Amino acid sequence: MNPIITAFANGIKKSGVELSNMVLVSDIPFEPEIIKELGVDFFHITRGRAIAFGTGLKLGNPDLKIVAFIGDLMTLGGNHLVHSGRRNMEMLVICVNNFVYREIAGTPAPSVSPGFSAFSTFEKPFNAPHLANSCGAVFTARWTALHTNDLTNSIANALDKRGFSVIEVLSPGPNFYKDINQIDSELLDFYYKNSVTKNNEDTRNVEITPGEKIITGEFTDKEKPTFIDTYNAQLSKILGDKFIPHGGQSGGD
Amino acid sequence: MKANPRDVNTGTYYMDGDVAAGHGALAAGCRFIGGYPITPSTEAAETFARIAPKAGAVFIQMEDELGSIASVMGASWSGVKTMTITSGPGYSLMMEIIGLGAMIEAPFVILNIQRGGPSTGVPTKTGQADMMQSRWGSHGDYEIIAISPDSPQELFDYTIKAFNLSEKYRCPVMIMSDECVGHMSEKVVIPPAEEIEIEPRRFYNGPKEKYLPFKPDQDLVPKMVKAGDGYNLYITGLVHDERGYPITNQKEKGKRQQFPTRRLVDKIRLNADKIIELNEEGMDDAEVVVVSYGISYRVAIRGIEKAREKGIKVGNLRLITVWPFPDKKITELASKVKAFVVPEINYGQIVFEVERCSHGQANVVLIPHGGAGVHNPDDIAEAIEYAVKEKKKIRKVIEWKTRLEKFVFEGGYKLNK
Amino acid sequence: MAEIRFAGYGGQGIIRSGIIVGKGASIYDNKFSTMNQSFGPEARGGACSSQVVLSDTKVLYPYVTVSDVLVAMSQEGYDMFEPELSDKGILLVDEDLVKINPPRGKIKILSIPSTRIAEELGNRIFANVVMLGFFTAITKLVSKEGMEKAVADSVPSRFINLNLKAFQAGYDYKKE
Repeated sequence: MNPIITAFANGIKKSGVELSNMVLVSDIPFEPEIIKELGVDFFHITRGRAIAFGTGLKLGNPDLKIVAFIGDLMTLGGNHLVHSGRRNMEMLVICVNNFVYREIAGTPAPSVSPGFSAFSTFEKPFNAPHLANSCGAVFTARWTALHTNDLTNSIANALDKRGFSVIEVLSPGPNFYKDINQIDSELLDFYYKNSVTKNNEDTRNVEITPGEKIITGEFTDKEKPTFIDTYNAQLSKILGDKFIPHGGQSGGD
Repeated sequence: MKANPRDVNTGTYYMDGDVAAGHGALAAGCRFIGGYPITPSTEAAETFARIAPKAGAVFIQMEDELGSIASVMGASWSGVKTMTITSGPGYSLMMEIIGLGAMIEAPFVILNIQRGGPSTGVPTKTGQADMMQSRWGSHGDYEIIAISPDSPQELFDYTIKAFNLSEKYRCPVMIMSDECVGHMSEKVVIPPAEEIEIEPRRFYNGPKEKYLPFKPDQDLVPKMVKAGDGYNLYITGLVHDERGYPITNQKEKGKRQQFPTRRLVDKIRLNADKIIELNEEGMDDAEVVVVSYGISYRVAIRGIEKAREKGIKVGNLRLITVWPFPDKKITELASKVKAFVVPEINYGQIVFEVERCSHGQANVVLIPHGGAGVHNPDDIAEAIEYAVKEKKKIRKVIEWKTRLEKFVFEGGYKLNK
Repeated sequence: MAEIRFAGYGGQGIIRSGIIVGKGASIYDNKFSTMNQSFGPEARGGACSSQVVLSDTKVLYPYVTVSDVLVAMSQEGYDMFEPELSDKGILLVDEDLVKINPPRGKIKILSIPSTRIAEELGNRIFANVVMLGFFTAITKLVSKEGMEKAVADSVPSRFINLNLKAFQAGYDYKKE
């Protein structure tokens, strides 16, 4: 099985989150067998919209634990990322950063660094943990797919957090459908060997720069009221007794 | 099932259509609206945001219309009734995910208070030019239901009906209102909860291990469960089988793709007679039938009155349900009448459906309008008069030259031949 | 059946006036009414109008074609909607704000310094309510009780008395 999924499965176990409450939303079509094995509910939706879809799931049923597995986080999903960070919508976002859209060979994604893409690009890439942190995420981390233990721990930590958490996973190929091929494995190995772990590093310093070490680690870990917390606080203030607080574990009732 | 008294603000009010729609959504049992403000629909969202928290429902102002509609899909599968509210460019933005909604059979409602277009168009004034977009806006084959209220009272009543239809058929339901009705104030009676009939979600209650999320009932609509209820759901926008699993076998893809999309279309087409609601009057001896919907219906009434004063026998057919289109009704009428007259605030959308269904048996006259206003009833009366006198069968849609059109062309451009 | 047009500029309570008349007629007098509004993109200070169609039966066609009553609270509003007024119509104007043309047909013209009266009562914001009182007394299209209830229903509770006083002042104004 894909190392990210393995880390995810282990992370769930470690965190003690109820499996039946967990809903996975993704713009990547996972193999049904994987979902069956994970034992969670799964929604494969249009590219980039997983966070928004997850927002609806969470507000429809605040007891749900939402995990968004996203390939298209910073492009199509960019606005959803920015605003969910701002409102601290409670969910875990796992951004699978493969640097290029493998299936459309050579078309660079906004996180592409000039040194990594086959056809290269002159545009400056996004620094995903810094972007998430700046928007208000309560937890950010970056690992490569080969940091299995670290990734497992971060997933467990993030699942236990109340708020918007973002974990960037450097992994070649978003394609969970097929086997990772030889070139991908080589690239994955390259990422792993060229990385250095610096926990609590200021996210401003974790940009991925060609020729330099990739910085991995857990960067952000803070507490902030969630969207539902602030919604309940504000409407109680306006409506007093007439307000029915929005329920669930994070609803404070 | 009756509405929950907590959701119903029973009383007699003087309110505009947008506000009435907000009340209608809550009364229907809507628990979640994700929306993004846009004129002239904003008052509906504001109303819901104001009354929802007292009933345990939530409104969230999302980051954009794509986020709004995606959040509505999510909330729908979390087990609650949902809606979004929009207009003009916002409606265009939502198109992508309407297709997802049709594909994963999420029940949801979109309130579109139509405004003048294209693009930013005329934000504060009316239009009826999104009718075809409702039907065909997202890529691929699917069917939707669209209804067109003509008064604030109807925006209350038919918002409830829209929710009921979306739960019953598990498809997108559009309330295709417009700025005129949305911003028109009239008396609105919100009845007591026990007088409001609402359709509950079709929840599955068989053994967990036997649940197939896309196995249809007799009426072609499958039963639903909630996310997070331990069904190990796999729901995808890819073409999928009854388990919800993507159809991946390349050899079978071509053949097996037929089943799921065929059913998405058929569950509406084969149930069309049960869905369609029309209002007809003066049909018995009609020589001409005016086909209209929404605000144009109320404007057409004045034109029809004027034509009747001249002794013309005019029938009045109002499409309350615009989609699915009442093919049978139009075809049946086409064999009896001389012509159809179709006033709509666009340059021809529903009129072509009327032409299609009349199969060349009756003439079809379009009374166009470019938006930002309603028809002059005199134009409608004159078009009726023309239609009843025209003896030739004209095998194309006849475009009536309205006063406004004459004005535009006199002062405007001429096409060089 | 009566078609009424209110015209003025944003901030004068022109749309609120339409709502009050519509509400008075259809909620408290058990008639039927439809109120429509139109305003430019600039809400305050821009040209603004509202129209009410009153009827004993359900209002079908919802717009004014030929108005029976025009209430003009600004010169621009008067200029724009005077041609729409019926030859036998009633024209009500704020005499300090509108300069009227020579009379046309059998139009009955009545003027009131509604803004000045409102200022004397403490705030020009009541000008439209003064005008509504005048409108009620002159046209008798909606009952006084119905109008008072609709006024009370349409303003914040702490301003009800002041509004009713303004309404009465307009109602009692000399009818010439």
